Amino acid sequence: MWDYRSTSAEIKAGNPSVAVFGIGAIEQHSEHLPLCTDWYQVREVSGRVARELNALLIPALPYSMSQCHGPAAGTVWLRPETLALVVRDVIMSLRSQGIHRVVVLNGHGGNFVLEPVIRELNLTYPDMMIIRPLFDGGFVVADLFEHGDVECHAGEIETSLMLAISPDLVRATRVDYVPEVGREFFDYAFLDKWTPDGMIGISSAGSAEKGRRALDVAVERVVKATIETFAALELLRRDSNSAEAEV
Amino acid sequence: MLYTWENTTREVEAAKPEIALLPLATMEQQGDHLPVGTTTLVLDAISRRVGETLPGSVYLLPTMPLGTSGLHMSAPGTIALGWETLAGVLRDLVGSLLAQGIRQVAVLVGLGNVSSGTAWPVDNFIAKTAVRQLNYDYPELQVIWAQPFGVAGKELRSIFQTADEEVHAGEVVTSVMLHLFPELVKGRGEDHVPAVGEAYLNYASFSALCPGGVWGHPSLASAEKGARAVEVTVRCTTEYIARTFGQLASMRG
Repeated sequence: MWDYRSTSAEIKAGNPSVAVFGIGAIEQHSEHLPLCTDWYQVREVSGRVARELNALLIPALPYSMSQCHGPAAGTVWLRPETLALVVRDVIMSLRSQGIHRVVVLNGHGGNFVLEPVIRELNLTYPDMMIIRPLFDGGFVVADLFEHGDVECHAGEIETSLMLAISPDLVRATRVDYVPEVGREFFDYAFLDKWTPDGMIGISSAGSAEKGRRALDVAVERVVKATIETFAALELLRRDSNSAEAEV
Repeated sequence: MLYTWENTTREVEAAKPEIALLPLATMEQQGDHLPVGTTTLVLDAISRRVGETLPGSVYLLPTMPLGTSGLHMSAPGTIALGWETLAGVLRDLVGSLLAQGIRQVAVLVGLGNVSSGTAWPVDNFIAKTAVRQLNYDYPELQVIWAQPFGVAGKELRSIFQTADEEVHAGEVVTSVMLHLFPELVKGRGEDHVPAVGEAYLNYASFSALCPGGVWGHPSLASAEKGARAVEVTVRCTTEYIARTFGQLASMRG
């Protein structure tokens, strides 16, 4: 694999066919987790996925759409159109260098602009295969956790992942909280109105052991989904190209 | 009481509507059997009934007939907006309402399908994204979104056999069209469900996934099922909008 520690000549000689780009966030994560939680998680997972795929790893973006935490101290966010431009420009840089397969790994649940951006880029540039396998800050492994169904932010999953990745950054306090309203309220009201410090889930159930296993499974699932999706797309595009040729 | 584009500005002013309804539709291929304006036709009917059922004065905006249909671009009759365009349309329309003192806006994001939730839409992610940004840009606003077939998902599943396999022009929407506009339905199209999941809608064109333009089972459609579907969809959408604005009001206190 190649990353920002490689030289340009090394990357050229290696001729990677796939790039991996993770998207993090800087936002409140209850009392016990640091602002960088989403970023560090996606940095870890995208690095391991890039190694498995022998890909070019793009440094994970620290910032994304954390508007819903707006007034919480330390939170910074990008507007949807800003994140869209960053994603587009990164992918266009890769395309100009002959890398046509891009894996976008989302580390923060609020980045709903990624779907339309990826869809439009795939439609506009038929030579590209840009995919977005599920990672989403651990949602891909929610089934491994006791309280995975109520987890949304800073709960058992994220606490476990951070205990595995950066235990020194996890504070001792644990708040457990599950709000009454549905998750659509992320779209409607600052989290401070309906959660304590953005806490949604059962953080007291987190452990480093669960986190280590979840990371392994997350990487395994993302890699498997990536390989399967690229293969299925290759078949689909070949079929539709030959159908067009017949017409 | 419902107010629309057929009212005068003085009538709307006097009514002081608290809620506006903004339906967003599309113009795109809908198999061989349904018109390209299917979403507009159905959403017009549903949003009008929702507006008549909601309590208080409601201002219904004309359905935006064009949306993000890039997926169907190669099919004749399809007109597609880019996602930034749709986000801009939403922002401008909601901004116009806010300037007149209408702070509660419910956006109906196409029809959705039974697998769309109230937190995760199907097909159209940009309306959700734009709604979220508007709420945080203008704290005095309360903009919510819903997909009618999504909020009525549980009830629709008990009416239709294949509601969970439907993405486009299948049993549900064909039945609703048979009930509302039977003269516009040309046969039934061909049933088709691709081997891959809905995530591929972001990776491949619709015609590559579904050469006949259908993802679902239109052969099972009937006008009778369509009539029941419209009734529960209107009821569930109305209840959802009223409940969500109620929760928001108590939260913002």
